[in-house]
Amino acid sequence: MDDMEDDTTIFSTLKSFKSLISCPDRSLLETEPAFGRSGLQNLYTKRVELEEAAERVRSHTNLLQLTQEKQQMELSHKRARIELEKEANSSSRDLQREIDRNRELLLQIRRLEEREEKANQALNEQMENNKALKRNFEELHKKANEKDSKLAEADQVCVCVFCISVCRKMKKCSHEIYNCSFNIKKLSLICALLPLICAVRLQELERRLALQEQDSVIVKNMKSEVARLPELEREIKRLREENTFLRETKENNSLLREETEGLRRKLERMERAMEEKLKVEKPEDLSREVIQIQQRELNLKQQNYTLNSSIRSVEKARTELMPEIAQLRAKAQEEQKKRENQDSLVRRLQKRVLLLTKERDGMRAILESYDSELATSEYSPQLMLRVKEAEDMLQKVQTHNTEMETQLSKAQEEAGSFKLQAQMVSHIHHHGNFLLKIEELESERQQLEEQNNILEMRLERHNLQGGYDPVTTKVIHLQMNPTSIAKQQRTEEVEQLRVECQRLRDRLRKIEAGGGMTTDDTTLIIPPSQEILDLRKQMESAELKNQRLKEVFQKKIQEFRTACYVLTGYQIDITVENQYRLTSVYAEHMEDSLLFKSTGPVGSMQLLETDFSRTLTGLVDLHLFHQKSIPVFLSAVTIELFSRQTVT
Amino acid sequence: MSKTLKGITLKGSAELVAEFFSFGINSILYQRGIYPAETFTRVTQYDMSLQLTTDAKLKNYLTNVISQLKEWLFDCTVQKLVVVITCLETNEVLERWQFDLECDKTAKEGSAPREKSIKAIQEEIRSVIRQITATVTFLPLLETACAFDLLIYTDKDLEVPEQWEESGPQLIDQSEEVRLRSFTTTIHKVNSMVAYKRTNST
Repeated sequence: MDDMEDDTTIFSTLKSFKSLISCPDRSLLETEPAFGRSGLQNLYTKRVELEEAAERVRSHTNLLQLTQEKQQMELSHKRARIELEKEANSSSRDLQREIDRNRELLLQIRRLEEREEKANQALNEQMENNKALKRNFEELHKKANEKDSKLAEADQVCVCVFCISVCRKMKKCSHEIYNCSFNIKKLSLICALLPLICAVRLQELERRLALQEQDSVIVKNMKSEVARLPELEREIKRLREENTFLRETKENNSLLREETEGLRRKLERMERAMEEKLKVEKPEDLSREVIQIQQRELNLKQQNYTLNSSIRSVEKARTELMPEIAQLRAKAQEEQKKRENQDSLVRRLQKRVLLLTKERDGMRAILESYDSELATSEYSPQLMLRVKEAEDMLQKVQTHNTEMETQLSKAQEEAGSFKLQAQMVSHIHHHGNFLLKIEELESERQQLEEQNNILEMRLERHNLQGGYDPVTTKVIHLQMNPTSIAKQQRTEEVEQLRVECQRLRDRLRKIEAGGGMTTDDTTLIIPPSQEILDLRKQMESAELKNQRLKEVFQKKIQEFRTACYVLTGYQIDITVENQYRLTSVYAEHMEDSLLFKSTGPVGSMQLLETDFSRTLTGLVDLHLFHQKSIPVFLSAVTIELFSRQTVT
Repeated sequence: MSKTLKGITLKGSAELVAEFFSFGINSILYQRGIYPAETFTRVTQYDMSLQLTTDAKLKNYLTNVISQLKEWLFDCTVQKLVVVITCLETNEVLERWQFDLECDKTAKEGSAPREKSIKAIQEEIRSVIRQITATVTFLPLLETACAFDLLIYTDKDLEVPEQWEESGPQLIDQSEEVRLRSFTTTIHKVNSMVAYKRTNST
């Protein structure tokens, strides 16, 4: 609208200018012929007037342009101001948002701390549950392991037993194999060594022939000794008969003793009877009977004495005979042994003779074969023959060996049985006692063996468990050993934990009593959780952002304000809410300022009364009341002040 | 080294036995978890791979004990070596690994070396160590933190060196015993056995 008004004023001025130009032309044309000099002067004055009018028009246009520019500037100012205000509002809103966010974050931090405490409690409970479960599980595991070990041991035992049986069988087989191989080796060696053996045997045979002659002499001597044997046997028989006779006499003695005892008893009875009878009959008869009785008594005594003497004699003879019997028995045993030895020697010699004759025959045959086959040069059939003969000899020798062994065993058995018989004969009375003693000793021995076994087991157990005899042994170890070091460390740890516990308790008590935070020595360093650290970091970054935004805003606002001041010539300060104080650049005094108040949200302002505004009442009336334009007023004030400054 | 030339001398036998103890004790500590498995490194000995500790303090302690033990083996005055495993919480003895030593006193310094091949002795040692590893299957678990100690049973008249002291036998309260294999160098014979505390959960 302003532009349109400006244009219309421009057009109107142009029109007036044109009219002016046209009028003076007419006037000029009309008045030319009448006046000569006055016409020129009139023309000059008219030109001057026209030029003045033109200058006025130009100045008017300049003014209009300036006002236009000023209005544009003011518009731009307003826009800028609006934008700045919007930005300021938005930044204030952002600030408030940040502040709200901070508050919220703080609240969150508190909530998270509370949650952390709850979570820690839950964790502790869970850990305890886990430990209990672990213990149960491990107990079960131990049971399973022990069962497994038992099973493994049983398996091992079975396996061992099986292995042992297999090993034994293997060993037996290997032994048998070894024996067979050994036999084979023997035979091969014998076959290889036969020619040497033959030469050696020849020498041996010669020696043996010499020995044989000696042996024959010995045999003759032995034969003479052997001839004595039947006499000894006869003596033995005699002694045995005497033994039997003595036993019978012994028995007779015992019988006679019994008879004497019986007779004595009869005597006593008879005496009693006779005493009874004596009382009744005459004295003569009594005397007769007494005499008879006395005679009987004498006879009986005589008999008794004879019997006693005979008994004593028999006993004497018996005692005398007992040692002789013992000696004869010993002699008989010795002679029996000698006889047996001699019999065995005789048998051995006979068999040796047989062997030697056989060997000699064999050697003779070999020698004859050697002699007969000297001409021929073939060795292998001779060797084969010799090998066969050697094998035959070997077999014969082996059979003879087995026969000899059987005979030896038989002879030993017979000797043993003879010995037993001899012992039985001599010790028949003591046999029963010996048997009893042997049984007692056997039982004692078994008991002692059991006790010994038990004691040995105990000793072994004691040894396994680590016991020792303090008299012969002592136990030593290093003073600085891992167990003692570990125990020391443990006690130190326990002490430290106790001290810390005590400190915590004191701190708790102080906190409960005091209520506030204490900053003395008992401050603890509880490590904060991760959430709290993150939130703290976020907070710090938010604060930093705020700080930077504030700085940026400050800078920008400062720049803008200085730009406004420089361009518009007014410094605009917001003293109170909705009140703006403008101070001009050309103000004469520092306190000269205009106050505007914002009324309504649109941006309309009202000028408030100040000391300085009272001095500008004319301008106020003109520009504000009539023209109702604050920018014009302000620019008028600026021009006024500037003119004042430049003039003065 | 005389033991590598002809037969076994007293000195060579003492060295063999001391070497066995060094590796045996390390195996026991590794198998029973007395020290963490990360502190052990694998080495090859007796044609098998064994674990050896890298902890400096433990190594130092073991070398001290084993070197002293070697001297006593040479003098034939040591009777037993025992590895005692104690629970730190309750101070109870949980396991005892006992090695009985029988020394042939007729084999003195100057006598002729005995005829036995090193390979045969190493074979026997290998079977003993394998058995120690196998016993872990039936021994009860050591749940709590444990520490070990080495006890040596010697003749009563032996002079106790510095840094050593007399101690009790540290027997187990109610024990189960198992006899393990033995090996002999013809001069020293080592019998092994393990005793462990009976668990009441059976």
